[in-house]
Amino acid sequence: MNIVVCIKHVPDTAHLKYDAQDNLAQDNLEWVMNPFCEYAVETAIRMKEAHEGATLTAICMGGPQAKDILKRAIAMGCDDAVLLQDDAFNGADPWATAQTLAAGIRKHVPNFNVLLLGQFATDSMSGVTGPALAELLGVPSITFCKKAELKDATTLSVERETERGSEHYDMTLPGVVCVMKCDYEPRIPAIKGVMKANRTEIPTLDKAALGLSDEQIGAKGARVEVTKLYRRPKKEGGRKIDGSDAQAAVSQLMSFLREQKLV
Amino acid sequence: MTNAIWVVAELSESGAPLDISLEALSAAQKLAAANPADITAVVLAGSNTDLSQAQNLLGQYGATKVLALKHDLLEQYQVELYTKALADAIGAQQPQIVLAGSTSTTRDFLPRVAVRVQAGLAPDAIDLAFGANGQLEITRPTYGENMRAVVHTATRPQMVSLRAKAFAKAKPDSGASAALETATPDLSADMAHTKLTQRVKGETKTGKKLEEAEIVVSGGRGLKGPENFPLVEGLAEALGAAVGASRAVVDAGWRPHAEQVGQTGKTVSPQLYVALGISGAIQHQVGMSSSKTIIAINKDGDAPIFDIADFGIVGDVFEIVPALTKAIKEANMAAC
Repeated sequence: MNIVVCIKHVPDTAHLKYDAQDNLAQDNLEWVMNPFCEYAVETAIRMKEAHEGATLTAICMGGPQAKDILKRAIAMGCDDAVLLQDDAFNGADPWATAQTLAAGIRKHVPNFNVLLLGQFATDSMSGVTGPALAELLGVPSITFCKKAELKDATTLSVERETERGSEHYDMTLPGVVCVMKCDYEPRIPAIKGVMKANRTEIPTLDKAALGLSDEQIGAKGARVEVTKLYRRPKKEGGRKIDGSDAQAAVSQLMSFLREQKLV
Repeated sequence: MTNAIWVVAELSESGAPLDISLEALSAAQKLAAANPADITAVVLAGSNTDLSQAQNLLGQYGATKVLALKHDLLEQYQVELYTKALADAIGAQQPQIVLAGSTSTTRDFLPRVAVRVQAGLAPDAIDLAFGANGQLEITRPTYGENMRAVVHTATRPQMVSLRAKAFAKAKPDSGASAALETATPDLSADMAHTKLTQRVKGETKTGKKLEEAEIVVSGGRGLKGPENFPLVEGLAEALGAAVGASRAVVDAGWRPHAEQVGQTGKTVSPQLYVALGISGAIQHQVGMSSSKTIIAINKDGDAPIFDIADFGIVGDVFEIVPALTKAIKEANMAAC
């Protein structure tokens, strides 16, 4: 049983920094493992723990610093990791990213059974890479998974959250699942895990090693091009009143709601 | 290639198009007004599904044609079969633009369709316009809603899914109708590798879904315990609102994840958002700050939620919410 988890290195969107022109201060961002990838890693580790003899590999396309999150993934419980890194990968959209990840998987873990990703990356917020990767690999995919467990060596039982409730699926493996927030939290690496991560060599594969051409990857391979990126106009606060007299505060609020035609 | 805009329309159990699909049709109408195009609503359905109600409504909302992709195997959503049916139809008819509402279904299969037809897909758009070169300029949120990206795709069709409530639903034209064209996709059961085994309907006290609601009332830590959430539900019921929750109370197990608003939960943009006992950490703001009007009630006057609230009350939710619920109910009675 070969389990693979693809993870992304993203700026911490809770602590973004901007320059004087309100552009993202690219050199000043704090980078973390994408929060949804944390849930994907946790789900993958639980799967591995429940299936004796399973191996778990973490893969990331990113810059040299992305090794930090691969080390974190190993510290959490992954067995090994590989970094897909090349300057030519810069500027990728989900399509070019999926092409690169597909090549990495074919090269490094061609006989994968389950492939997990986070549902969204908090930077691009597109949710496209997972199903696109499944399509490229010719395997089924299920998005918005909040639970995924191996039923047997060829069947994954998946719970998916929709607008209407939840859906339970059986997926014939190999297959891809995109994981959202689960009912359990990602584990914090223990010291033993951190020591193991520090000892583990993380190989790097570039575009030549992956047999990729420039037309398939990075900005050149992208189908969706960003022409403008700007800071969202900040929402301003309005009135703030003292509520120590509840009745008086409520009647002021009711007047406001009537003015706004909301009641 | 025909100058056609396709709108992938999803139907509810009753057979009517989802609101979000009608919003996408309305967006298509606006585009067609700027740059004339035929608007086709595409419906994937079982062979025996009655589409007359859908056809009527889709026509009234601007579709000139309904393309029904009908097959026994499309009765229920299945990712690989839906992907093949839509991708084959796009390949055969080559529309310039394919729009859809951004739902858990389109997010599941449109990325695969895009790969198969070799097109670019921009999900979760909040604005659409034609650029100088006649190409769609698509605005979508990025970086945890803090940034906006304007994107375009040079490939065809230009595929875009539209965020719920970001595009206004046009007024229906009761005199308009759409022609029906039915096609039978080439599908077989062995193409499907996922099988639905169980469907569990989500329970909502007020019967309103978070993503579709015009009003959302959310509760946070300030409620002190799950036993106090009837306060939130009571106000939601009086307002005809959906119930939401902060991450803190979901993590504490007080409320299900389906109700979580924020970075690892849902993003909502209702007309009115009422935050009760929610401090408003940036991760929560990600999910609700594009709401039209925000009301916050919190005992901590320094809580960040007040920075974005149009109307804030610094006070005790246990005193203010019951009084507010009562006042809303009285206003409702007076309006009857």
